[in-house]
Amino acid sequence: MTDQALPLPQEEKQFSLAKDAFIRLVANRLAVVGMVLVAFLFFIAIFGPYLTPYDFLSQDLLSRNQAPSWQHWFGTDDLGRDILSRVIYGSRTAVIVGFSTVSFSLVIGLFMGALGGYFGGKVDAFVVWLIDITMSIPSLLLVIVINVSLKPPLVNWMDAQFVATGNEFYRNTIWVDFVLVFGSLALIKWPKAARIIRGQILSIRNKNYVLAAEALGVPTYKIVRRYVIPNAIGPIIVYISAALGEAMVLESSFSFLGVGVRPPIPSWGNMISDGLRIWQLYPHVLAAPAAVLAIVTIAFSFLGDGLNDALNPRQWK
Amino acid sequence: MTKLLEVNNLHTRFKVRNGYLHAVNGVSFSLDRGEMLGVVGESGCGKSVSMMSLIRLLPPAAEITDGEVLLEGEDITHASVNRVNAIRGSKVGMIFQDPMTSLNPFMKIGEQVIESIVFHKKLAKAEALKQAARYLKMVGISNAEHRLNEYPHQLSGGMRQRVMIAMALLNEPSLVIADEPTTALDVTIQAQIVELVKGLREKLNMSIIWITHDLSLLAGMVDRIMVMYGGYIVEEAVLDDIYKSPLHPYTIGLLKSIPSLKTEAGSRLPSIPGAPPNLFAEPTGCPFAPRCTYRVDRCTREVPALATVPGAEGDRPHRVACWVDMRGRGIAQ
Repeated sequence: MTDQALPLPQEEKQFSLAKDAFIRLVANRLAVVGMVLVAFLFFIAIFGPYLTPYDFLSQDLLSRNQAPSWQHWFGTDDLGRDILSRVIYGSRTAVIVGFSTVSFSLVIGLFMGALGGYFGGKVDAFVVWLIDITMSIPSLLLVIVINVSLKPPLVNWMDAQFVATGNEFYRNTIWVDFVLVFGSLALIKWPKAARIIRGQILSIRNKNYVLAAEALGVPTYKIVRRYVIPNAIGPIIVYISAALGEAMVLESSFSFLGVGVRPPIPSWGNMISDGLRIWQLYPHVLAAPAAVLAIVTIAFSFLGDGLNDALNPRQWK
Repeated sequence: MTKLLEVNNLHTRFKVRNGYLHAVNGVSFSLDRGEMLGVVGESGCGKSVSMMSLIRLLPPAAEITDGEVLLEGEDITHASVNRVNAIRGSKVGMIFQDPMTSLNPFMKIGEQVIESIVFHKKLAKAEALKQAARYLKMVGISNAEHRLNEYPHQLSGGMRQRVMIAMALLNEPSLVIADEPTTALDVTIQAQIVELVKGLREKLNMSIIWITHDLSLLAGMVDRIMVMYGGYIVEEAVLDDIYKSPLHPYTIGLLKSIPSLKTEAGSRLPSIPGAPPNLFAEPTGCPFAPRCTYRVDRCTREVPALATVPGAEGDRPHRVACWVDMRGRGIAQ
């Protein structure tokens, strides 16, 4: 018999890891719930302010603290503002704060973690030292210090710029609030990302399959792209989804303490803090933003958990 | 026969906290095309490190301080990183000890197997996958096309080792280094893998270096055996000579500690007392001297050179590094 290759039987469809992962993700019910809710949040954050029934600032002092009704689905607050409109506008704040914070902290964390994990030795010791120092600072204290010390000069500078140039951009000092909130939140959060990434790189670099790939002459960039990153991505995705929810909660607590986003710009946090003063009489003023915050946080964890399972072939059933 | 590999006076050391660990201390040997060489020794004898040094597959803390490795006449020790990368996988294949962790869990078997052939031979993916399926069949994996599409965790340990072997062979390397490829497998799978490698070697006419700590495994498989101790080659001879007339006390000790059916029930299995030396300082005498029952004064003062045994010269000489003439004093079998 000749050594002839047999014709291959009809091949099963080859899917890439990403496509495979998507199929698994869609099969996971909780993850789909999370995905739908997160998509809805994005939709609301982008288009919501154009769809709101009322302006989030317009006060109606004749209908203060009204219970939910057909006119005001979530009721009105103590200035007669429509809570639904404010919650919708607050979603924009939440999404901006959440994503900017997580991306800032991820960029810093990725850089520092990769630096430590890759170079090791003294560089690593320095990175770990920096992580420990940062983590040892109480986060609330840090944010308050940053806000109190940096805000007045920044606002003064912007006022001066407005007077000097007449540029409308400098008039709206709300951006100072946002930048300070993102900045301080990212400063608090990067050590966690750096730790995860450093640990992942350290452990994967010593894995046998990396050695085996090196023995096959696979070039370094391919090893990083196809061996290190896919193996490291799971915990990072979980970190992102947890951090998104966490950043929104943190922003809320800062706003609650008065160091975050200032009224009249609504954020779920300052709405909750407003609601807390009168919740015994008008629970709906507190309940609406608090429930929305809780739902969004849970949706992010569902999605993150589902993504982690979907991206890891070993988890598949 | 033509020489495929020549190693001259290879030294490798590791940088440790306060000083160096001398893992390979002047290893010289050669390998013919199509020859199979067994490398034996206890854990920590430098056998893995010396064979990894051949293709410079070493951790960052290790450095080759002296010597040269010539593969088909080409100096690997002083070649550029790119050149070494091109040699790895194409001319030299590696099979590792632990198949359970040597495959990337995030890549399908097919993609992983073809990675090196796509890189080295610039083959199209579909063509490479066909070839991968052929090699998987050759190493005894049934339903190969289907397996290409599976992830490593869906395969058993023996299967994964077969995949690793197929990966190493796909580029038809002239040299395969197998680093204890059967240690993590159970005995029946071990026997299958040994048979498989023997068959493939004849079929593809490649040279194999088989690293193991199990002398009995090598019987009936390899042409030649090299015994290593403390980063030195202490004895080297063709298979029969190692088993029938071992001349180094360490080899004799290793052979004595293989259990046999003739061993009386209830009797103790002979062993070599003590542990391998730590290699923080270059030894001043024979590294085996502290554990050796035959040692003389000279053993602790001078390192014995690996010398050809008188009367055993030739193409594949019997070489031994011992100050004591052990002829006739070894084991009677």
